[in-house]
Amino acid sequence: MNAIQIKMREVAGQLLSLGEVDRVIGWEKGRFAHQSPPAFITDETKVERLIWDEYCLTGTAKYLLDDPYRAGKTGLFARGCDARAINRLIQDGQVKRENIVIIGICCTGMSDSVSRQMAAKCCDCTHPTPVVYDLMIGEPVKPVAKPERFKAVAELEQKAAQEKSEYWTRQFAKCIRCYACRNICPACNCRECFADQYRVGWLGKQHHTAENQVFGLTRAYHIADRCIECGECARVCPVGIPLMELNRKLIKDIQQLFGDYHAGVDSETAPPLGRYSLDDMEEFM
Amino acid sequence: MALMTEANWEPKVLAFCCNWCSYSGADLVGLNRMKYPENVRIVRVPCSARVNPQFIIRAFQRGADGVLVAGCHPGDCHYSTGNYYTRRRFLVMKRLLEFIGIESQRFQARWISGAEAVKFRDTVTKLCEDIKALGPQRKLRDQK
Ligand code: SF4
Ligand code: SF4
Repeated sequence: MNAIQIKMREVAGQLLSLGEVDRVIGWEKGRFAHQSPPAFITDETKVERLIWDEYCLTGTAKYLLDDPYRAGKTGLFARGCDARAINRLIQDGQVKRENIVIIGICCTGMSDSVSRQMAAKCCDCTHPTPVVYDLMIGEPVKPVAKPERFKAVAELEQKAAQEKSEYWTRQFAKCIRCYACRNICPACNCRECFADQYRVGWLGKQHHTAENQVFGLTRAYHIADRCIECGECARVCPVGIPLMELNRKLIKDIQQLFGDYHAGVDSETAPPLGRYSLDDMEEFM
Repeated sequence: MALMTEANWEPKVLAFCCNWCSYSGADLVGLNRMKYPENVRIVRVPCSARVNPQFIIRAFQRGADGVLVAGCHPGDCHYSTGNYYTRRRFLVMKRLLEFIGIESQRFQARWISGAEAVKFRDTVTKLCEDIKALGPQRKLRDQK
């Protein structure tokens, strides 16, 4: 058994038996060897369910919102991406820091359950070590810049308008509007989503390419300055739409226009589109 | 009213104008008996910052060939700071639209004050000319 897993069970057992938390969220072994879905444990005798292997892909933080009015504290196992997601939820006023005990895990990357190679979201990860935690398991490493994660965006930018449009039309023609990308996303934390409105004007219910594109673009823009680059949306999309290319396009432009900003790295600095500067670039004269 | 076909196509341009500056600017065009293209449909909004970026996406989806967002000059906003947010928002939005293949001429943002009738007329005239040259916008349209 790996050292992280031993430590996870030990910490979870302690927190639950001392009553410091009344549940922990981590991962357990799923039906298949390549599945490690999230686990919700409220009983200290059940901590043996917790596991740590290369398929712990699912983000844990978003589950804090499943019952927004829940009393009691949660012990949350958090890798780098989960820690940024927690900051996201704190900053957006969705959870309170004092209600979470963050058990940071220094992550070395997970494997894609199909290709068995390092998962795409982990290849592009800049902050593998949690940026916020109460307890830490493993050896912290420094953040890495990884500018190469914007390569696909830069290549697409160079193409002609017609080609770009054909590319995105082809992608969104596949969308089945399952809203998995939204449901998994820690930045998509509005309690009332535009996509769920039934009144005319917000988003049509028809399932066709134009409507799918309106959904995808509106979602991408809505989280533009708050996306923490966890890559969960692209991972869960059942039809493989490269959603991170849209997110990274926005992140890249926001960084170029308004300065370096990494959402979720702290919970204090306001997202760039929620503030302004008198010396912002002027293109609208 | 004759149905619009490929042959007699005329662009539809949607202009979101802020109540305090650009809408008055557009009004002044009329008061001065100046002409601007009939292709422009004006939607009056309390502030340019009221324009949700989704409005732009929806406008293109529902048949607009071009969209203009017009507001007070920076420093002149009726609500002091609204247009500073507008500026950030649409600097980013403009680039996103280009990224998905909407030609840059089709979406414009401009600062037009209540006294700038000529600027309003010139801006929308130029916008309509550019869009006529580009042809109909079909990329984000329903039923493509
Ligand atoms: S948009 Fe995707 S990468 Fe960004 S926070 Fe949401 S799930 Fe994570
Ligand atoms: S997860 Fe993929 S298929 Fe589902 S709504 Fe999002 S983009 Fe569409």
